[in-house]
Amino acid sequence: MKLSWLLNVTPALFLMAVCCSYADFVSINKDLVIKSCDRTIDLTSQLVKINHKISITNNGGSGAPRTFLFSLEGGAQDKLSYIGATQGTSEKTYLKVSEAKVQGHPGVGFWKVELRDALTKGITAVVNVEVVLGGAQEMFPAAITQKEKQLARYTGNVYVHSPYPINSQTTTITLASANIESYTKHEPVSKQDSTVKYGPYNNVAPFTVSELIVHAENNNPMLVVSNLIRVIEVSMWGNIAIEETVDVKHNGAQLKGSFSRYEYQRESSGVSSVKNFKTLLPAAAKDVYYRDDIGNISTSHMKVMDDAVELDLRPRFPLFGGWKTHYVVGYNVPSYEYLFYKGDNHVLSMRLVDHLFDDMLIENAEVRVILPEGVSDVELSTPYPVKRDKDDKHYTYLDTTGRTVIVMRSQGDLTENHIQNFDLQFKYAHRTMLLEPLLLVSAFFLLFLLSIIYVRLDFSIRVDEGAEAKMKVAGYLEKVATLQDRRNALYQSIEDAMVKFKSNKDNNSFQSALKRIGGDYKVETQAIAELLTTVKNINPELGDKVGELQRLDRVYRDLQAQQTALVEKLVSGKIVKAAYLDQENGLVKKKEETMEKINSVRAF
Amino acid sequence: HSVGAGLCAAGMIAIVPGYISRSVAGSYDNEGIAIFCMLFTYYLWIKSVKTGNIYWSALCAVAYFYMVSSWGGYVFLINMIPLHVLVLMICGRFSHRVYVAYCTVYTLGTLLSMQISFVGFQPVQTSEHMLALGVFGLCQIYAFVEYLRANMTPEYFNILFKSLVIIISSIIAVGLGVLTLSGKVAPWTGRFYSLLDPSYAKNNIPIIASVSEHQPTSWSSFYFDLQILTFLFPAGLYYCFSKLTDHNIFIILYGVFAVYFAGVMVRLMLVLAPVMCILSGIAVSSSLSTYMKYLDGSGSQTKAASKQGKGRQDTNSTQQREGTAYLFVVLMTFFLVTYTTHCIWVTSEAYSSPSIVLSARSHDGGRIIFDDFREAYWWLRENTPEDAKVMSWWDYGYQITAMANRTVIVDNNTWNNTHISRVGQAMASTEDKAYEIMRELDVDYVLVIFGGLTGYSSDDINKFLWMVRIGGSTPEGEHIKEKDYYTPSGEFRVDGEGSSTLLNCLMYKMCYYRFGQVYTETGKPPGYDRVRNVVIGNKDFELDVLEEAYTSEHWIVRIYKVKDLPNRGTR
Repeated sequence: MKLSWLLNVTPALFLMAVCCSYADFVSINKDLVIKSCDRTIDLTSQLVKINHKISITNNGGSGAPRTFLFSLEGGAQDKLSYIGATQGTSEKTYLKVSEAKVQGHPGVGFWKVELRDALTKGITAVVNVEVVLGGAQEMFPAAITQKEKQLARYTGNVYVHSPYPINSQTTTITLASANIESYTKHEPVSKQDSTVKYGPYNNVAPFTVSELIVHAENNNPMLVVSNLIRVIEVSMWGNIAIEETVDVKHNGAQLKGSFSRYEYQRESSGVSSVKNFKTLLPAAAKDVYYRDDIGNISTSHMKVMDDAVELDLRPRFPLFGGWKTHYVVGYNVPSYEYLFYKGDNHVLSMRLVDHLFDDMLIENAEVRVILPEGVSDVELSTPYPVKRDKDDKHYTYLDTTGRTVIVMRSQGDLTENHIQNFDLQFKYAHRTMLLEPLLLVSAFFLLFLLSIIYVRLDFSIRVDEGAEAKMKVAGYLEKVATLQDRRNALYQSIEDAMVKFKSNKDNNSFQSALKRIGGDYKVETQAIAELLTTVKNINPELGDKVGELQRLDRVYRDLQAQQTALVEKLVSGKIVKAAYLDQENGLVKKKEETMEKINSVRAF
Repeated sequence: HSVGAGLCAAGMIAIVPGYISRSVAGSYDNEGIAIFCMLFTYYLWIKSVKTGNIYWSALCAVAYFYMVSSWGGYVFLINMIPLHVLVLMICGRFSHRVYVAYCTVYTLGTLLSMQISFVGFQPVQTSEHMLALGVFGLCQIYAFVEYLRANMTPEYFNILFKSLVIIISSIIAVGLGVLTLSGKVAPWTGRFYSLLDPSYAKNNIPIIASVSEHQPTSWSSFYFDLQILTFLFPAGLYYCFSKLTDHNIFIILYGVFAVYFAGVMVRLMLVLAPVMCILSGIAVSSSLSTYMKYLDGSGSQTKAASKQGKGRQDTNSTQQREGTAYLFVVLMTFFLVTYTTHCIWVTSEAYSSPSIVLSARSHDGGRIIFDDFREAYWWLRENTPEDAKVMSWWDYGYQITAMANRTVIVDNNTWNNTHISRVGQAMASTEDKAYEIMRELDVDYVLVIFGGLTGYSSDDINKFLWMVRIGGSTPEGEHIKEKDYYTPSGEFRVDGEGSSTLLNCLMYKMCYYRFGQVYTETGKPPGYDRVRNVVIGNKDFELDVLEEAYTSEHWIVRIYKVKDLPNRGTR
């Protein structure tokens, strides 16, 4: 038993070694048999979606292969845009599918499907293989007038293509309409409304091919994205901006002859034309815009739903066969849903392509991920192979070293099945975020510093004598003004003392107060007199003014002295009250006039 | 004049619709900048006349250079300044300050302006610049004469003066005559003639007259664009005359000429708006300050008057004056407030929506947007061959070039009159004749603007008479006669009574192709044109040499493809 196992294994090992050295050739396991296969071909959209429900079993031999091969005939293989396999009905397991090469079968495409469990003898596994073909439906006729309907023709294989014998198989074709021009009559075949059923066919040998042609009306949108540029700009401040530039083309039957707006509006012709389509954006999308090179496209609606934001996009004009247009859709999403980090390590997990419209077909896609400035150790993992170009640099405001741009290009057509996440790991130090604000702050700081220096320092080459002198005089005059203020304060205190004296009639304290104030007054007057001579030396005119001030002040002083004497007389009873009031009134008026003059002179 | 006047003028110019019209929705055209340059140049000119400083004059020349580089209307400026000098000379106010200022500005400014390739040698060759050159010469002579007068006895001087005048004037006359005849000095261009004589263009060059901006201004549009400034303007002039100085003379001259030019062409309202604001600012501030005097501290005055017990009559008259002052100030405030609201209203109604996107109200009050222009232009851009040539009337040339990125036959800057005329002929001819012209011009697509479905009135049918006139203005288009397109009673009609020439020309057919089947308004037969308010005359026809390539949603833009020559024998 052990020996035989060994014997069995050795050729396999040997084969594996051969495979590794000679371009990984895989052999077809003769033990495997497909018990039944139910195939459905969905032709309702522009795509051809084929689903194979395969029951595969190990009919003999003692090997327990974990893989089996899936094949497609030459025509279909070229148009393949997606292939995927699942196992189980309620709990689906996605199986790994990889391209394989088998010797001796030129023009046939092979894929190796890895099963969930090993297939020992007698065990049956049920696997669903989904295949999506793009551009497999041919428009026939290729050009139609506006009134005509669009017809599509699909050419395929009546039998399921397989490297293993199939015991029993059926094929169900779903069409877009019941208006069927023709279909291959390969008995047993039945037709009901928009479905055509082939089979069951029993015991079909491997690689059996018999042409199948279905020709039917299909007015569903045949929109193809000829070029998609998806730019994802990641900001570390919590936002991810996404912008998609889309070149979309109607790949259905070409419009022959003229376009008539009248017929389009009144007779609702042009059934194959596309007026609008719906794009689903992530639920968190906000600040959505829809525009092209000449501005906002004013015909669109947005509906926020629970799990998505639905954009109802209407191109500027209805798209007829062969017409194309170009637009840009952009939006923002918060980064916490897509960007995860621990320390300086970050992972960005986003959809490689997103939904543009139902049953979309993207011929070329370029995804550009703009990372923040200063990232390092970028590692990319994608759900399906893409071509990664050399990293680019992107510069926006305040960038110094430029932002790293990861550029990915699609290989082959992309469909809705390709809406899957990619992971991008990178290292980013959070303190780098402060760089740009600091840059701004220091720039402004420098600007202000320079202006401070410029304003505060004198950069003139020669000294301006006049200005110097003026400034000096101004300084002196300011001093004079303060001194005068002090003198005025002294006058006020004399007034106060007089009032006090009138009420308490304390002659001694009044006299002493007068003496004290008189002393202070002398000091101030002396100081002003000194300043007067200095100012006169520099600027005689202003000096005269100071002199005038002194003169007026003397007048004021005299007036106040008279008043003091008057008060003394009143207190000592040498004068009647009425006479006192009369005289005082005159004095006060004169004093006021003089003070006014003083103030006007004081202002210089 | 005063700080107050400046402030008033600044406030007014900030919102005057005549100037705002040049900037729509945040964007502006070069004329918006040009007006700033012009005013800046004037400011520096006045400054240099006041000071007689070479520094200010040189700055003025630099500002003039800026102006020349931004707008062709600099010609107005270079005529305005010499005119000012000339008037100063006549008034006997010519001084060394003016001499220094003008000589510096003219020489420097002319040299600088010649650096602009568009201007080139025009300043010394074309008649539009002759005034400046002449005044420059006159300045030299005048200054020389003054010098001589200062150094000679009056008798000798008189003899010399007379002989000099005769000799120099004859030399100038002969020289100018020779230069004009030999073609060195360019003849007066049509645009200039139309400035001097408003009817000149209409009679001679239909293409100049066809532009709506070149139409003479109506009184209503003066009021619409300037409102109370129209009435304040004479008051401002009065204040300027009452205090005649060098710079006031300049403002008067500028104002008077700007009014004249704005009357000739709607477009030049732009030049008028600033001076209107300046003069009105002067008027407002001067009159306000006159009356405000009576209000200032009038309370204490009356008190003092009554205290001193002066005559009752005097008090009365003071109070009367006060009342008038109050009334006036309130009235002026009211005018200024209405001016502000009017400006805001005009700006939002007339000058704020881009003309490329039209909007209308539907029955239920909702807004309908007609984005047909962009729709059709984008279609052209995406779905025609890149080297396709589009024929349309020249109004849409720039739009097609910019938005559709396609070559056009004629555009807004086409100088070749016969080329535009050829397009006009194609539009005005029958299909067969038009096909020949279109083959000759190598046209792939033809674009027309049609408003009959939506009621968009500035469409090609309404412009059609200009196409006929322009088409018929050159020798090749002699067979196109304006009167063929009128009914016998001389009307332009597209209904059943219209002339058959009109109902069978290419423009008519392109606009109304298949329109005869469309119901536009309830209760009206199909093919009812909502602009002309008639049912079209020729409903049932097919196009032979064209096919409908695209028509926008509201039928405003219709694009036709020119069919290739048919194979032999098929026709």
